[in-house]
Amino acid sequence: MSGTARTLRVATAYYFKNYYRSKSFYLMLIIAILVSLLLTYFSLKYINRLDLIIPKNLLSTLGNSGKEEIFGYLWAFVLLDLPVFASVFFGSTAISSEIENKTAFHIFPLPIGRVTLLVSKYLAAVAVTFITVLIYVAFQAAVFEYLFPGPLLLPFYQSLGLLLIFVFSITAFTFLISSIFNKNTYAYITVFLIYFLVFNAYEIIVEFLYKTTPYYLLNVAADAMEKVYLNISTNPFSTSSSTFAPATIGTLYTSIGVMVAYAIVSFAAALIIFDRKEVK
Amino acid sequence: MPSVLVERVTKNYRDVKALKEVSLNLQEPGCIGILGPNGAGKTTLLKILTNIVRPTEGVALLNGINVSDEPEKALKDVGALVEQPEFYTYLTALETLKFVGRVKGIAEKDLGSEIQRVSEMTGIVEYLGRKTGNFSRGMKQRLSLACALISDPHIIILDEPTFGLDPKGMKEMRDLIKSLNQSKDRIIILSTHLIYEAQEICDRVIIINRGEIVHDTINSPSENIIEVEFEGPAGKVSLPDHMADQTFVDGNSAMFRLRSGTSNSDVINYLSSQGLRIRWVKPQSNLENLYITLISA
Repeated sequence: MSGTARTLRVATAYYFKNYYRSKSFYLMLIIAILVSLLLTYFSLKYINRLDLIIPKNLLSTLGNSGKEEIFGYLWAFVLLDLPVFASVFFGSTAISSEIENKTAFHIFPLPIGRVTLLVSKYLAAVAVTFITVLIYVAFQAAVFEYLFPGPLLLPFYQSLGLLLIFVFSITAFTFLISSIFNKNTYAYITVFLIYFLVFNAYEIIVEFLYKTTPYYLLNVAADAMEKVYLNISTNPFSTSSSTFAPATIGTLYTSIGVMVAYAIVSFAAALIIFDRKEVK
Repeated sequence: MPSVLVERVTKNYRDVKALKEVSLNLQEPGCIGILGPNGAGKTTLLKILTNIVRPTEGVALLNGINVSDEPEKALKDVGALVEQPEFYTYLTALETLKFVGRVKGIAEKDLGSEIQRVSEMTGIVEYLGRKTGNFSRGMKQRLSLACALISDPHIIILDEPTFGLDPKGMKEMRDLIKSLNQSKDRIIILSTHLIYEAQEICDRVIIINRGEIVHDTINSPSENIIEVEFEGPAGKVSLPDHMADQTFVDGNSAMFRLRSGTSNSDVINYLSSQGLRIRWVKPQSNLENLYITLISA
């Protein structure tokens, strides 16, 4: 194993250990379990009472696996925000904390390149974020096995794959924001504001004024996780057609492309900023 | 042999010039003290040497390798304690040392003994299993030094290493640095506010003020000066030639430049035997006078 690969492995393990022992990790686990329990309760309670939440004429159009797709959509709909919270906890302070908490004075004088350092921290953050959301996915799989015996539907696996890509891209995005600031609080707040306020406001405005969906936004691309079940938009001004059929393969590819682009561009920008970072 | 070369290094923080064309050439092993008041540029110089900041102009080379261009290579044989570093709070001291050792390329089979060695040197053996988030400032300082010493580097950079330590800890730290310096196969750069610390430990002393090196001298302990305050006028007090080569008298006090081998207690005993009543004795070094003169200029 080359020196850099060895250092990368060592540093990733080191950061991973520091992440999974942190209070943030346990807090995220508790949140994931609580949300999973709520969805479990909801699924068990409404499995035979879907007519209370979906019009009967629409229900009659569903195929054999219709119920599973609806519940899959609902589980994925709730899942969308979990990786954002997790990556904010683990990613948004990844770089700013080195400065604010003075760990940079411990780590920068070591013979380890900034690129190796950031890549290892990124991989560790992606790993812990994915572990916390996997708790939720495991609950979903168990509930679906109970409610719908037999193999899980293909969209479940597609959604899981998209979730992994989304975790990479949202974590890279939070690393970028973190690289800009030297204070953890600013990094936390900025990621939340951009993702939940700026992106959503921009999406609504564009759809309302220009009658087009800004597919290039990360939150819009992430919707693919639920749209592999049913292509429904919850945005009141959405111009995309809502159907009980899953999203087209073209939509999925576009979403994957957008998420990968966010991951690459954000991480590259974070690397450039981190490489020039100084601790005054 | 290790070497440290700083060539015309300037560092600007926006409008503030922290360092102004500083040059430094360390080719001989030994302990080099860097003295200077707050904001003089001492820590900035050490930060440049350890890749924490980059020079605006000029280059810093460790063992002939440019720190800014190839930090991984340049810092391979360097141990550093800069400012007051913090550690990842959920990891133990042992895990922290293992990480540093692995990053520095120590083989797994040697890692345990190396950690044991530096832990014993810095007095943290019994704290190895504790998470660093629970460490006091003094313990963090000891752990920082242990991290700096792991892999037995030939260049050691220490920025106020006694900061946060109690008097016993300060003495232990100074003794440790002195013992490291005894091997005479490494360069130790020690930044400190404490003149007596530099005088006690260092072979060479550099004084920095307002971003410039204003003095670079061999530290000579033989030039110790003591000031003695008497209960009455000092008059024509003097010491025998074998004890002091110069005497300055001013009112009730006198300053003596002591010859090598003369201790403060020798002076006190001699003056007492002459019937003089001493109020207090204060060691004063040439370095201290020089420092005050240069910094006040």
